[in-house]
Amino acid sequence: MSDQRLFSKYKAYEIKSELQQVNLKKHRISAVKRKNALKKIIANLTMGNFNEMALLFPDILKFWQIDDDVEVRRICHHYLVAMGPTKSAYLKDALQLVLKDLDSGTEEVRIMALRTLSSIPSTDYLNEAFKSVKSVLQSSASPRLKKTAIHAITKLDQSDHNRIWPLLNILRRLVDEIKEDSSVQAHALYVMYRIHEANEDMKMMTLERDTCFRMLEMLPALNEWDHSLVLESMITSYAPQTHSEAHHLIEIVLPQLQHVNTSVILNALKFIMYLINYVDYLQEGLIKRLSNSIVTLLNKPPELQFLVLRNVILLLLSREEPLLKVDVSYFFVEFNDPIYIKDTKLEILYLLAKHANLSQILQELKEYATDIDIQMSRKAIRAIGNLAVKLEHSASECVAVLLELLDFGVEYIVQEIVSVFKNILRKYPGQFESCVDKLVQFTDSVQEPESRSSMIWIITQHSSYLPNYLELFQIFSSNFQDETLEVQFSILNSSVKFFVRSPTEATEKLCVDILRYSTEKIDNPDLRDRAFMYWRLLSAAQQNNGLPLSIETVKDIVDGDLPLITLNTRLDPQVLEELELNIGSIASIYLKPVSQVFRLNKTKVLPKSPALNLDRDNIDIIADSSSTRSSSVVDLRFSAPSRTSSSPIKKMDDYDKPAEKVNSLKTKKRSSSSAVKLTRKPSVLARKLSMRRPFA
Amino acid sequence: MASCIYFCDSKGRSILSRRYRDDISPSAIEKFPSLLVDSEQESNVIPPCLTHNGIQYLFIQHNDLYVLTMTRSLSVNVAQVFAFLYKLVDVLAEYVKTVEEESIRDNFVIIYELLDEMMDYGIPQITETKMLKQYITQKSFKLIKSAKKSKNVMRPPSQLTKSVSWRPEGITYKKNEAFLDVIESINMLITAQGQVLRSEILGTVKVKSHLSGMPDLKLGLNDKGIFTSDGNASQVDSSTQKRSNIELEDLKFHQCVRLSKFENEKIITFIPPDGDFELMNYRLSTPIKPLIWCDVKIQVHSKSRIEIHCRAKAQIKKKSTANNVEILIPIPDDADSPKFKYSHGSVKWVPEKSAIIWKLKSFPGGKEYSMAAQLGLPSISDLEIPKAKRPVQVKFQIPYFTTSGIQVRYLKINEPKLQYQSYPWVRYITESGDDYTIRTA
Repeated sequence: MSDQRLFSKYKAYEIKSELQQVNLKKHRISAVKRKNALKKIIANLTMGNFNEMALLFPDILKFWQIDDDVEVRRICHHYLVAMGPTKSAYLKDALQLVLKDLDSGTEEVRIMALRTLSSIPSTDYLNEAFKSVKSVLQSSASPRLKKTAIHAITKLDQSDHNRIWPLLNILRRLVDEIKEDSSVQAHALYVMYRIHEANEDMKMMTLERDTCFRMLEMLPALNEWDHSLVLESMITSYAPQTHSEAHHLIEIVLPQLQHVNTSVILNALKFIMYLINYVDYLQEGLIKRLSNSIVTLLNKPPELQFLVLRNVILLLLSREEPLLKVDVSYFFVEFNDPIYIKDTKLEILYLLAKHANLSQILQELKEYATDIDIQMSRKAIRAIGNLAVKLEHSASECVAVLLELLDFGVEYIVQEIVSVFKNILRKYPGQFESCVDKLVQFTDSVQEPESRSSMIWIITQHSSYLPNYLELFQIFSSNFQDETLEVQFSILNSSVKFFVRSPTEATEKLCVDILRYSTEKIDNPDLRDRAFMYWRLLSAAQQNNGLPLSIETVKDIVDGDLPLITLNTRLDPQVLEELELNIGSIASIYLKPVSQVFRLNKTKVLPKSPALNLDRDNIDIIADSSSTRSSSVVDLRFSAPSRTSSSPIKKMDDYDKPAEKVNSLKTKKRSSSSAVKLTRKPSVLARKLSMRRPFA
Repeated sequence: MASCIYFCDSKGRSILSRRYRDDISPSAIEKFPSLLVDSEQESNVIPPCLTHNGIQYLFIQHNDLYVLTMTRSLSVNVAQVFAFLYKLVDVLAEYVKTVEEESIRDNFVIIYELLDEMMDYGIPQITETKMLKQYITQKSFKLIKSAKKSKNVMRPPSQLTKSVSWRPEGITYKKNEAFLDVIESINMLITAQGQVLRSEILGTVKVKSHLSGMPDLKLGLNDKGIFTSDGNASQVDSSTQKRSNIELEDLKFHQCVRLSKFENEKIITFIPPDGDFELMNYRLSTPIKPLIWCDVKIQVHSKSRIEIHCRAKAQIKKKSTANNVEILIPIPDDADSPKFKYSHGSVKWVPEKSAIIWKLKSFPGGKEYSMAAQLGLPSISDLEIPKAKRPVQVKFQIPYFTTSGIQVRYLKINEPKLQYQSYPWVRYITESGDDYTIRTA
């Protein structure tokens, strides 16, 4: 059967005539034709031909009354939901028909009627919906109808939250009713959980201990989707009161990791991660199970793989001693992986890198650095550079690889290497100066703003090793006006530094030229202001008229020691806690807390309980064999409820960049020169601003 | 909790949609094509989640379709969404053969019905095709009140909510049979020097059940975790005849398997759905040596020719034979005029893949074959293009053989009411997985 020919735009009168024509003779054949005409209506609704189709409302209502075919009825309901809101005049008539359907003998039709009632935003329909949902849930209707009614509550909650309370009580009773069908219970539990979560004026749902355990025991009787619903609603709903209870719960959930459905596994994982906050020790076997089931998920279709990988990052970041023990080779990039998976794998490799496995990872990164995909290659180089900064003992290995790559001389590789080398040289002053010679050979080929300013920085900082540094610098300074702002700043800073270091004629000319250019020809106020700042600083030191500003002080200000850079791999503990409770959600893909991106969502927090661990890093992992643990570990720390952290939320803005960035340069605040500034009168300032030759 | 499901064409324009909640305006979909274009400019493959204006677009790609859901809440369970979308495509495939733009349009009425049944208010409901087919058919049903013949009356599918939601009652077969297929896919990453960087075995046990009534099945494997409780060191050597019990690293079961029973007693018991299904998956990452090893030497004489020498060896038991072996060797895009020398199989130049493919119908264990090829390169070329480093890919199938050494010890079939005689059949096959690749130098 092909519906293709129905799939084109029709005018209302065309369909109308078709409907009426077949109406005359009530034959079997005409029933098929009539149905085709109705299907055309649905096809037109799908294509958005609303204006024409709205004219057919009376015909639809007519058919609703006379026809007794389920499919026709379905089309009628579909039409009503699509068109109802715009044609309120007909809604009243239709309501009677819907209500009649609700009392029909066919379950299918009753379900349709209930859905239609709850999805039309009109007061009459809403009132009826509230009434019928209540009666269905309290009757002994079939589980399917009951489930429809339960989900209708979510919708009713959106339309009229104030009237939802009695229905919630019914739901709670359903959950507590032991004789009720298990699937109905699962859905009731989930809807209750969602409504609690969605509304500002409600607390998170809490469950009794018995209910919690009963729900978990029910799991085997449920289908896969209900499985994951129950697991999801359990999280934060019940806080284990003792450590042993938490262990027991983990034991119950653990078999679910072997389910074939990814959402069940991730929800089970999330539940276990939640429970781990309430245990006093962990068994090694558990960690092995968790890691194994994660690795298996990596063979799912790419979209699911991506999700799993993002969550692996989260699990790796979350604790000092990660809860995953996975061999790095699982995260080696396959040549046919989509780019978003490659990126994520690269980030994981970076996070997993330790001194022990560095050579393996470096080998891989080197492989990627010569990848055909330019983006990939750049990211690999950046990762190597960051590793050099991160792992202090292995920096030289990373540098060796970078130098090897530099020999390829491919343009984009050079750009990236120059950029990362700036950080390496800054992190390890005096260690890799021998590389500078080699780097400056590529001065001509650095093109991008970032690598250009990095190159300028490298030349400036290591001018003592480079006899021809001014010559090299000339490449950048000669077309100062065409550079991007970022590079212009670097040139300005460097030219002043050169002059302060060795005030020769050449450096002075360079410095004056740049300063003059910045103050006279450049439109950017920031750059101009900075140039003026330097200018005044230099002239003040030059004049030396009783002010405590010697050339040495200026040198200190302009060319002082730079603070060391460090890499930060940790996220804010509060953010982490929330992300862990959101495993498998969109928040876990972006690695951003829910509240930051979407304010209406409630942040999930761990419910308080005597068994709650306050220090997440302090969980003992014990080998399987020793089931008794030493009593010295018992340290519940009731007295320290300072889980709130005052540090600002760290942002991870771009999920395709490595999760961490090198901290930006911070200029030190100097208090020594405070006496100089702003004591001048405005008129002096104005005169200074108009100076043409301040020093020379 | 998806708000809606859209089927979109390759440009991202909506073909068909079903909205489950009202929290996203119907016009939100109109933004999707331009979002696709924007993210396409950034990189050639689009990540499966985009965000715009507070709306999250989550989608999978299938043939020329985007199957998309939208949601406003960040706490939505993406695992559930993606798993459901894949399931949805699977179910549709059972109804309309290939799921593509045309077939979606062709069958829109039934797809609306399916979307109604499979999801309710954004929460997945029933995704078992066998169950859905009971009452969503191409036929039409009559309402009860007017139906004269009781045959056409639509019965509410009572099984949907029972504990065995995947199997209807009253199935009968003349001959009661169960077929087991043990399929192992080998994924391997090998360096040009022959060092195995990564190897894993992905196994699946597929079952085709033609059994009457409500049979209870019990499967016995030679898994160590199942047969021996104490963990003495396993000595697995796939080449030796005497196979000890092996240890499967991670098992994943179909929803019909009683997980708690497996957890406590290590017994795989289940009431199977009717027809084909995947009973379990397992994974092993024991180091294995390459089953088909290729030593590929590629010499590029730039601007004149490229020479390829390939030696392939079947490192499997003498008795076994690898079938349908395909070795794909990448060559530069601009290579031409191929010349081949080979003793076995056939070699073809496939310009659209920029590769040559060496096919061997059968490759007995222990044998070593070789092949040489020479291709011309254009004498003038553009600027130095960075070399595309693509690996050599190998495909093969080895019947009657599992690399892990897993074996089915027994399959007991017990139907308490009918007590019929039944016949279990088992087949084994090892094949190359998606990633059986050897890097080129």
